[in-house]
Amino acid sequence: MADATHMPAVRRDPFLSPRRRRAITTVILAAICAVWVYPLVWMISASFTPNTEIFGNGGLIPRNPTVENYTRAWREANIGKYFFNTLFVTVGSVILTTIAAALMGYVLGRRSVPGKAVLMALMVFTLFIPQGFTIIPVFEFLAAIGLSQSLWGLMLATCGHSIVIFTLLFAGYFSQIPKELEEASRMDGIGPVQTFWYVMLPLAKPIVVTVVVMQTLQAWNDFLLPLVITLANPALRTLSVGVYSFRGEHFIDWGGMTAASAITIVPVVMLFLFLQRYFIDGLAGAVKG
Amino acid sequence: MSGVTLKNVKKHFGAVEVIKGVDIDIQAGEFCVFVGPSGCGKSTLLRMIAGLEDISGGSVSIGERRVNDLDPKDRGTAMVFQTYALYPHMTVERNMGFGLRMNGMPKDEVAERVAKAARILQLEDYLKRKPKALSGGQRQRVAIGRAIVRDPQVFLFDEPLSNLDAELRVATRLEISKLHKQLGGATMIYVTHDQVEAMTLADRIVVLRDGRVEQVGPPMDLYERPANTFVAGFIGSPKMNFIALAPTDTGARLPDGTTLTPATPVAARAVTLGVRADALHFDAAGPITGQVTVVERLGDAVYAYVLTGWDQEIVARFDPNTKIAVGDTLRLGITGRTHLFDAAGIALPLKQT
Repeated sequence: MADATHMPAVRRDPFLSPRRRRAITTVILAAICAVWVYPLVWMISASFTPNTEIFGNGGLIPRNPTVENYTRAWREANIGKYFFNTLFVTVGSVILTTIAAALMGYVLGRRSVPGKAVLMALMVFTLFIPQGFTIIPVFEFLAAIGLSQSLWGLMLATCGHSIVIFTLLFAGYFSQIPKELEEASRMDGIGPVQTFWYVMLPLAKPIVVTVVVMQTLQAWNDFLLPLVITLANPALRTLSVGVYSFRGEHFIDWGGMTAASAITIVPVVMLFLFLQRYFIDGLAGAVKG
Repeated sequence: MSGVTLKNVKKHFGAVEVIKGVDIDIQAGEFCVFVGPSGCGKSTLLRMIAGLEDISGGSVSIGERRVNDLDPKDRGTAMVFQTYALYPHMTVERNMGFGLRMNGMPKDEVAERVAKAARILQLEDYLKRKPKALSGGQRQRVAIGRAIVRDPQVFLFDEPLSNLDAELRVATRLEISKLHKQLGGATMIYVTHDQVEAMTLADRIVVLRDGRVEQVGPPMDLYERPANTFVAGFIGSPKMNFIALAPTDTGARLPDGTTLTPATPVAARAVTLGVRADALHFDAAGPITGQVTVVERLGDAVYAYVLTGWDQEIVARFDPNTKIAVGDTLRLGITGRTHLFDAAGIALPLKQT
């Protein structure tokens, strides 16, 4: 639309002046946006509405607003406990995944490793296996090392989701950094670990942020894996599984479920708001490479 | 200050031999320039001295120490890279002091050394900046500063001026030359493919080709007494003219049959005559006749490219105000120093009158 201003005056349609075009575009976009946002707004609205009124066709603004859904969800439905379970799994898996992916990516991107091509191909191959096929072996494996009934086990298993993609992201980024930087640090007498930590990792900041954000989202929102692992142990549930538990056999507690959902998404939204600039940089950088 | 001695140094990458036995003895405090066309192995040789490349054979000594198996940091060398290789996320100050800090030197001492290097290189106003905010010349100075703070026995420069534009290259060249004196005549080894840099900076030049040393000597020695056609052609600008000779009983004939005047003594084995542009002059009785094809006026000299009767283009230097035009027919005599080479391209002893 902006190019309309660069058009020669002769071709300008008096009805579709640039200003009107912008107005029309805005209206259309606003309509699409409203459709997009409606479910989210409904969820927030329902979370402040008593259960009896939710489907009472009262519009999006609750008639008798209440925070009772939130207190019920936090205390009685254990969402408070699940929140900290999720936090543990997320933070732990983000730290482990980021460090492991960065180290592996550094080696794969910059060193000549015997069998590197085969290794890379195998890693890429694993991307094509749906999670459903691996979830039972993963559970068996956790059981074998005695971690199937602990948050640690869930956290470790959560690390595995996208670590291949993260490793490839790091490898791609590190492979572009000129080798003279490493040689310069070698001449300076700086060891490989220090070079990685003080020179290479700071340079890979966009990728680090991308990996942190993506792994956070993944771990926070993961459903299938925590569902399977916590099936026998409700105390270990994460938020997404906890939200699902509002669905009873005969009755669905919509108020509690939407309140729990709202609690679930707030941290993720905040994280994205804080990091979005770096996040987009990182993805753009990765695509450029 | 230490010298550097290379003894029969060899390097191969797999089956490919890139350095084929090099012996060089660099004196302490000397400014030594390795020069040669790309692919001659000059950078590889430098990196072997630095410790960034393994040494396949022979020995490298710095001072009295054999350093073949030492880590780069233990060799007492510091390197300045063509691409500067500054750490992009660190300030100038931290770039220069990083290596020292990482090796456990106290903060005060690092700061003192950085300040001193910054003073020498006039970088004091830029210490808090990141490399991104510096010009190419300033970045290269920071890279040199990073070498200076290590107080090395030997400075290694790997084509440090190649990424700078022409004007900065000349300015930085002067600075490096001054720096050599300022640092009390530190030993410096400098790699370049630019023979002008080699001529202007070096105490001694090592000309390399295909992993072998072609000639070692002070710049003017190489210019005046090149050991072979390769060195003769590589050193000096414009390039030396090489004219084929056919030996005769009395002297030698040029390709068009003209007999060279007796003023040019010709050894019986000579098959090539080397004449620099400044050894050719107008001479109505001279042996070389040709037509001017290109005239280059540089202000301080005029270079005329002359197509001879045997279809060879040779270049001659004239005074700035000489009137020459394309298409003129010139007759040139040889008055300056000439060089004679045998069939293998090796220089024959001059018997200049």
